[in-house]
Amino acid sequence: MMGIYIFIFFAYLFGPLIIMSITAFNSAEFPSITPWECFSFRWFNEGKIAYDGQHLAGLLSDWRLHDGIISSLIIGAGVVTLSVPIGMAAAIVLTQVRSQLRDIYYSISIMPVLFPGVIIGISTVVLWDRIAGLGGEGFISDIGRNGIFLTILAQTCFISTYCFLIFVARLQRFDQTQEEAALDLGASQTQVFFKILVPYLSPAIASAAVIAFLFSFENYNTTVFSILSDQTLTTVIASKVRLGISPALSALALTIIALTIIAAVTYEVLRRRAEKRYAESQEKFVKEKAADNRINKKYKAGFKIPKGITAILLIVVFATYGATQIVKNDLYGQSCIDAADKEKKSKFLEQLQTLESNELTDEELSGGSLGGNQDYGDIFGDPSLFQDFGGFD
Amino acid sequence: MSADVELSDVSVTFGSFYAAKNVNVKVNGGEFFSFLGPSGCGKTTLLRAISGFQEPSEGKVLIDNKDMSGIGPNKRPTALIFQNLALFPLMSVSENIAFSLEVRGVSKEERKKRADELLELIALEGQGEKKVHQLSGGQKQRVAIARALAVEPKVLLLDEPLSALDLKLRQRMRTELREIQKRVNITFIYITHDQGEALTMSDRIAVMNEGELEQIGKCDEVYNNPLTPFVATFVGENNPLYGKVTGIEGDKAQIETADGQYLAMMNDSKKLNIGDESIAFVRPESLFIPRDGDSFDNKIDVNIESFEFEGNLKNFYARLQSGAKIKFSVPNAIDTSSISSGSSIALGFDSSKSVILPKASLAID
Repeated sequence: MMGIYIFIFFAYLFGPLIIMSITAFNSAEFPSITPWECFSFRWFNEGKIAYDGQHLAGLLSDWRLHDGIISSLIIGAGVVTLSVPIGMAAAIVLTQVRSQLRDIYYSISIMPVLFPGVIIGISTVVLWDRIAGLGGEGFISDIGRNGIFLTILAQTCFISTYCFLIFVARLQRFDQTQEEAALDLGASQTQVFFKILVPYLSPAIASAAVIAFLFSFENYNTTVFSILSDQTLTTVIASKVRLGISPALSALALTIIALTIIAAVTYEVLRRRAEKRYAESQEKFVKEKAADNRINKKYKAGFKIPKGITAILLIVVFATYGATQIVKNDLYGQSCIDAADKEKKSKFLEQLQTLESNELTDEELSGGSLGGNQDYGDIFGDPSLFQDFGGFD
Repeated sequence: MSADVELSDVSVTFGSFYAAKNVNVKVNGGEFFSFLGPSGCGKTTLLRAISGFQEPSEGKVLIDNKDMSGIGPNKRPTALIFQNLALFPLMSVSENIAFSLEVRGVSKEERKKRADELLELIALEGQGEKKVHQLSGGQKQRVAIARALAVEPKVLLLDEPLSALDLKLRQRMRTELREIQKRVNITFIYITHDQGEALTMSDRIAVMNEGELEQIGKCDEVYNNPLTPFVATFVGENNPLYGKVTGIEGDKAQIETADGQYLAMMNDSKKLNIGDESIAFVRPESLFIPRDGDSFDNKIDVNIESFEFEGNLKNFYARLQSGAKIKFSVPNAIDTSSISSGSSIALGFDSSKSVILPKASLAID
């Protein structure tokens, strides 16, 4: 029962992502699984010049996407460098405030998270527009109308609060006598900060930086206002979706998902390895200390089937089925694409011919045998329909 | 290398609350000095005032006859060992020990040399690369001491550093601390609520209660000659006998209680007059079961209620006729098989082993 529930839950969670990922490999112009046209990597590469001459850009050839990614990365880096120190400073101040002011200070500090992002975006633009207006033609005016700069500021407004919360959580477990001990041993306040507090906070610094970057990278509602004439990845995607979705977006999504999974897995592997090393050192230490060798007994680890194997098996089964279907029906490779294109082109030409054959002659447009009927011709399209029409009387 | 520490009229207030009130102490250089008192008596506040974490509201702290007001903890020639030790968990043992040298810009080789010396002093040679969490409780304790000694402070302040250890380890660390103090020969100021710790280690003790000093003196002086009922009952155990002074003979006074008259020693500084409300104190180990030929000048009739075996001592809980409780202890070697619960016996004690003091509140009430 539990298993079924979990399966449904994960299907609900990951189903759309999986479907979307599959559409990235279909050569059709619209993201779809059925009808399956051809298996292809074109949406990761060049995309496609359509038979009608329209260029449908793939991931590699879409310069707007590339510009968007670059500005997203710049903004992300800027937001990290601003919000992490701001959040850390604010959290350290919180530990120094002892009176009733503490609650007020805390509430004010977390307030930016509660504001709608749209408001933060608009207000940043409004403020800097005024500031830029004051400065004449100089640096201030340039920077006040620079979308990337404004977006960094606007996002930092609320992302620094997330950093603040991370640091507060870590600082709550900080033993302040360590600071006192360092002071007592002759360290200056600066030395206490860099030698005691910063090393203690380093895990929080790392996670705050990651969180800040991710929040910045995926932010849309603040960015869409503050970015002005520039584009970030999110605004590019949003404007693309407005014009109609393309499998190139599926390809982008799949790339992002893959990068995320690789990063997460790498992190997890490194973490486990470090944990294991720590456990081993502890064990060694305990064994060294233990006089009797009761602890030194070796336990044979029984082989256990990892629980994740069912999920992997399921994916493998589906993938194999899909692949055999594709191979069996010869739905892959250049020949398939060429065939599909040829077919589409001929269909298109056919349609074109139909349209051409339906095209009206000048005589027909001017009313033909009925005469004097030009105005209706536009509205009713095919005047031949009205050939036997006796008129309105 | 050691320094005098003088507290001159030191008061520390938090709002209207006096954590320490008009404290005057002079700790001599090279001395092992303890502040003893129940929790909340202001002893830690005094320690923080000496180390510089707490500026006194009134009065002055002098170290080596220099006024320390306005000088931060990092500029004072003191080192503090915290109750929780406050070792730096992210550093190795050697890094912990050499931290004070590192912040002073001492070169790496010299730091290592000094750390090794100190590791030898605390008998942890070759364990400098370990992390703090790999050490046992007693080892951490010693590392904390080594870390504090690395800068060669003139005064070492210890804030109940043994309270987290188990009994056996605590007893061993007492001896070790005392030995380290003799070896490095600097002033140790020790804070504790454990009178056993204070008595075994210190040269002199200051007993504190509610922010005020009750008595300063050598261990045996404080134990045998308490100046206030608080000290009498806080340092060791004491049986109070309430009554009125009825006669004075030289340095002894006669006290009339509900259960009879007793003779006890008066303190030079706490002279009593006839008719004064007072308390005579007699320690459980000073009460004995008289045998033929024993000479004593006080006799006390008790009714045994219960018995407790402590190992080296046997403790008896009894009541006087007035209902007042009394405890007495006899060494395990003495045969007490004839004494059973409910039996009435007569106990004796010598007036020279008893102290009479003006009435005031006790430590345990």
